[in-house]
Amino acid sequence: MNFRIPAAWAPYILVSPFLILFAVFGLFPLLFSLWLAFQSWEPTSGLDAMKFVGLDNFVFALTDGWFWKSLRNTLWLAVASGVPQHLVALPLAVFLHQGFGRWRGLFSGAYFLPYITSTVAIAMLFGSLFSTDYGLVNQALHAMFGTENINWMRSPEAIKPAVAIVVFWRYVGFNLVLYLAALQTIPRDLYQAATLDGAGPWQQFLRITLPGLKPMILFGVTLSVIGGLQLFEEPFILTNGKGGADQAAMTVGMYLYRLAFDFSDFGGASALAWIMFGVIAALTWLTNKAFADRRVQP
Amino acid sequence: MLKTSRLLAYAIVGVGALIMLAPFYFMFVFATQSRTDIFNVPPPLFFSTELLNNIAVLTTRLPFWKNVGWSLYVGLMSTALTLLFCSMAGYAFAMLEFRFKKALFALVMATMMVPAFMNMIPSFMVMDALGWIDTHRALYLPGAASAFGIFLMRQFAASTVPKELLNAARIDGASELGIYWRIALPLMKPALGTLGLITFISSWNNFMNPLIVMRTAENYTLPLALRSLFSTTSTEWGALMAGSAIATLPLIVLFVISSRQLIAGLTAGAVK
Amino acid sequence: MSSSTALPRRHLLAAAFGGAFSGAATVSPAAQAAQAPLTVAAFPLVDVIAKDLLKGWQQRHPEVRAHVISRQYDDHHTAMTTALSTSGHLPDVIALETSYLGRFSLGTGLEDLSAPAFGAERFRGSFVPFAIDTARNRQGAIVALPSDIGPGSLFYRADLLGQAGLKEADLTRSWESYVEAGIQLKARTGAYLIGDVRLLKDIIVRGGTPAGEGQFFDNQQRPQITSPRFVRAFELAKKVRQLGLDARVEVWQNDWAEMLKRGRLATEMSGGWMAGQMANWVAPGTAGKWRVAQLPENTYCSYGGTYYAIPRRSAPERKQLAWQLIQELTLDRQRQLDAFRSQDAFPALLAAQEDVFFDQPVPFLGGQKARQLWRDAARRIPVVKMHKQHKFADEVINAELDNVLEYGKPIPQALQDAQALLVHRANR
Repeated sequence: MNFRIPAAWAPYILVSPFLILFAVFGLFPLLFSLWLAFQSWEPTSGLDAMKFVGLDNFVFALTDGWFWKSLRNTLWLAVASGVPQHLVALPLAVFLHQGFGRWRGLFSGAYFLPYITSTVAIAMLFGSLFSTDYGLVNQALHAMFGTENINWMRSPEAIKPAVAIVVFWRYVGFNLVLYLAALQTIPRDLYQAATLDGAGPWQQFLRITLPGLKPMILFGVTLSVIGGLQLFEEPFILTNGKGGADQAAMTVGMYLYRLAFDFSDFGGASALAWIMFGVIAALTWLTNKAFADRRVQP
Repeated sequence: MLKTSRLLAYAIVGVGALIMLAPFYFMFVFATQSRTDIFNVPPPLFFSTELLNNIAVLTTRLPFWKNVGWSLYVGLMSTALTLLFCSMAGYAFAMLEFRFKKALFALVMATMMVPAFMNMIPSFMVMDALGWIDTHRALYLPGAASAFGIFLMRQFAASTVPKELLNAARIDGASELGIYWRIALPLMKPALGTLGLITFISSWNNFMNPLIVMRTAENYTLPLALRSLFSTTSTEWGALMAGSAIATLPLIVLFVISSRQLIAGLTAGAVK
Repeated sequence: MSSSTALPRRHLLAAAFGGAFSGAATVSPAAQAAQAPLTVAAFPLVDVIAKDLLKGWQQRHPEVRAHVISRQYDDHHTAMTTALSTSGHLPDVIALETSYLGRFSLGTGLEDLSAPAFGAERFRGSFVPFAIDTARNRQGAIVALPSDIGPGSLFYRADLLGQAGLKEADLTRSWESYVEAGIQLKARTGAYLIGDVRLLKDIIVRGGTPAGEGQFFDNQQRPQITSPRFVRAFELAKKVRQLGLDARVEVWQNDWAEMLKRGRLATEMSGGWMAGQMANWVAPGTAGKWRVAQLPENTYCSYGGTYYAIPRRSAPERKQLAWQLIQELTLDRQRQLDAFRSQDAFPALLAAQEDVFFDQPVPFLGGQKARQLWRDAARRIPVVKMHKQHKFADEVINAELDNVLEYGKPIPQALQDAQALLVHRANR
């Protein structure tokens, strides 16, 4: 190549595909939904049916009992399904990485399968497993602990754990694969040197593995925060789009969808989406802060 | 580690794996059952003989194999483009300094925080304006520089690619883009494998975008096509399960391939 | 009611009208504009019916191609919302399910078919009264034509009833006697009275709604949650729950199907089409044991139904062709009967309800001539007005019902809270 791109341009060239795609496909929807948050709109009447209502939608969203209920549900589900995912995936990744050798692929594959199972199959299967009178979960619990049949799908207290279990089941393998990939990047010689120095496995884990994994842990946790706050699919399919008894499993994502498509209130839904954007952005920033402060960046 | 605790650990991991596998196993069992039997509670545990019937319903009601073809095409295009664009941007954010870097990265992150279905109607408008309704590039192009991918690449590059190596290459006179392509990219193979896998899966299972954009059944991708078998009162459960099971097979194949890639990444990453 | 001599005349009229129009279309410039194929947007299994019709259509109108775009039920309605909202890629004919029709007819997205260009009013006598009146918008204009309906009835297990020493009249005399019968059923056969107590609550509320008003809102858009029908519905539901008469399963879920298969549910309230579903796949093993009766206390309602509408923003020539297609889909007696026979789509067309098919015994229901019963019910169903917040109100009431049943919340308090929530939202 004769023509040499100035080094200063390189970053912008590298970032340009993202910028171009965003400008064409991402910007308009963002602006549209921002605009819509200040309108009252019944969608099937067409675009010219929008009416400006100022901050009305925001006031409505913030004074809406259902919004706060869905927010509480979402936070509960995000924590209950997210924390176990990482607590299990990380040690499991380390264990598989050190131990299993040839079987590693098979086991990580087994844990990853839930992630690729279709949602229809999941709805069908878990509906069957969690059935009150005939489901295998209740039968197993009864056999092991002698418990009464829990009405998983219909009693408000039980729906939340049921959904959390399904979400955990679905994504623990995803995090496992991420951590396994990250573990590949920690040089073997570090461990060898540490063993020569007399460090035990626990110490090696704390001093070598964890710091080495920090960027990926930040990544995984951030994804879980964002994903958890936007949780939609699993509660939706398990409660048939309704949110279950007393809306116990209705997440903000599901409420948003229902506001827009079931209750024909697009303006309200947009306002809500922007409120949630603020919440997610704030929590993501906090997560970042929590991880960044302790160590010096490489 | 003590022998017994090690065995115990193996046992727990093994049982965990079985639990993970169970619903998957059931999906394949259901694919061979009739629609009445699928609904039994407890569900049938072993294979039955309805598989061919179910597949027959599947192919009569839908242009099934065409849908599989389109899903493959869109998935591959999506993966190729995403790997390219996200590694480019991720590398830049991780390894280079430039003005607006923080703001741009904040923008990247921000795009992850808006729920997808809020964009349905405006996305439809954009696609209509471009004349891309019922085309497949509307499916793989817009999301090709996904925030998730850029974020992943950035984290990976930051922890894998040593700055000294890049500086040495610069002193040797390599161009910035050349450094990205020849030095950084090979080092990021495990992340590329992971991102490729996840992107393909997400494209394969995506039904929201095709719902907005696609109009003729011959052009549908799998999730949309399979969903049309699903109706409150008359779902063809057997066919639906058979279709879902078949739809999962390419993903499994892909996982096996990329596992090898991940493990191969071990040797690449350890050379330091 | 139409007599059998009037029918051929109406039929001929429609055919002549359609024929005149297709003749005119071939020579007018409208034909050029109509070159792009007509699209009918539908969902399973309406799409099967539409596709059948279109085969014949192609032969009668060779210059106008037509095809069906089919999507899953929810996806279809979401796609229609999207298309109508942006007026982009509008289909020419939209199939809508009753509950969505209610929502869509409240806006201005659907074409006014009562207008002179279409003249739908002259068909109003051809259909079951409630079906055509449900298709009217706020101004009273018809915005869709009905195709099929789901006349509600009470399904009950005759064998279990006999075992408990009861008669059909014990179930249907009144809602109170229905619940009393449930006690006997539980005691002597172990079967639950009903799967989902919400259905009972819904029916009682429906039955107590004054004619022409909405189920939750009156004609001045005020929520009516504290009115007597809700109190009665909640009290009976509470009694059912306290006596353990409801199985707490939701219709279409696996455990509901399983209970039906095992004979643990004694009654089910649904549209006539439920017989076909049960016979085909839900619980075929229970064939012959079920019967149907009219719902207690002369309550009549419809469970589901399909309508066809035209988007207001379509091009005028296309609207005329679409209108032609809709007439063929809804006014053709033979088609309606064929659809009834093959897809269990109970015709809204009065003419189609006069046929020997209705007098035939239904094997699944032990040979009962159920179609006569459903036909009778269909003609007595009152119109229930839809309100924009109908779906939301439904959810709120269900949530409060759960509060009463699960947590023992006092009924007046629950109804009061629901009322307050709806007042807060009634004008959004």
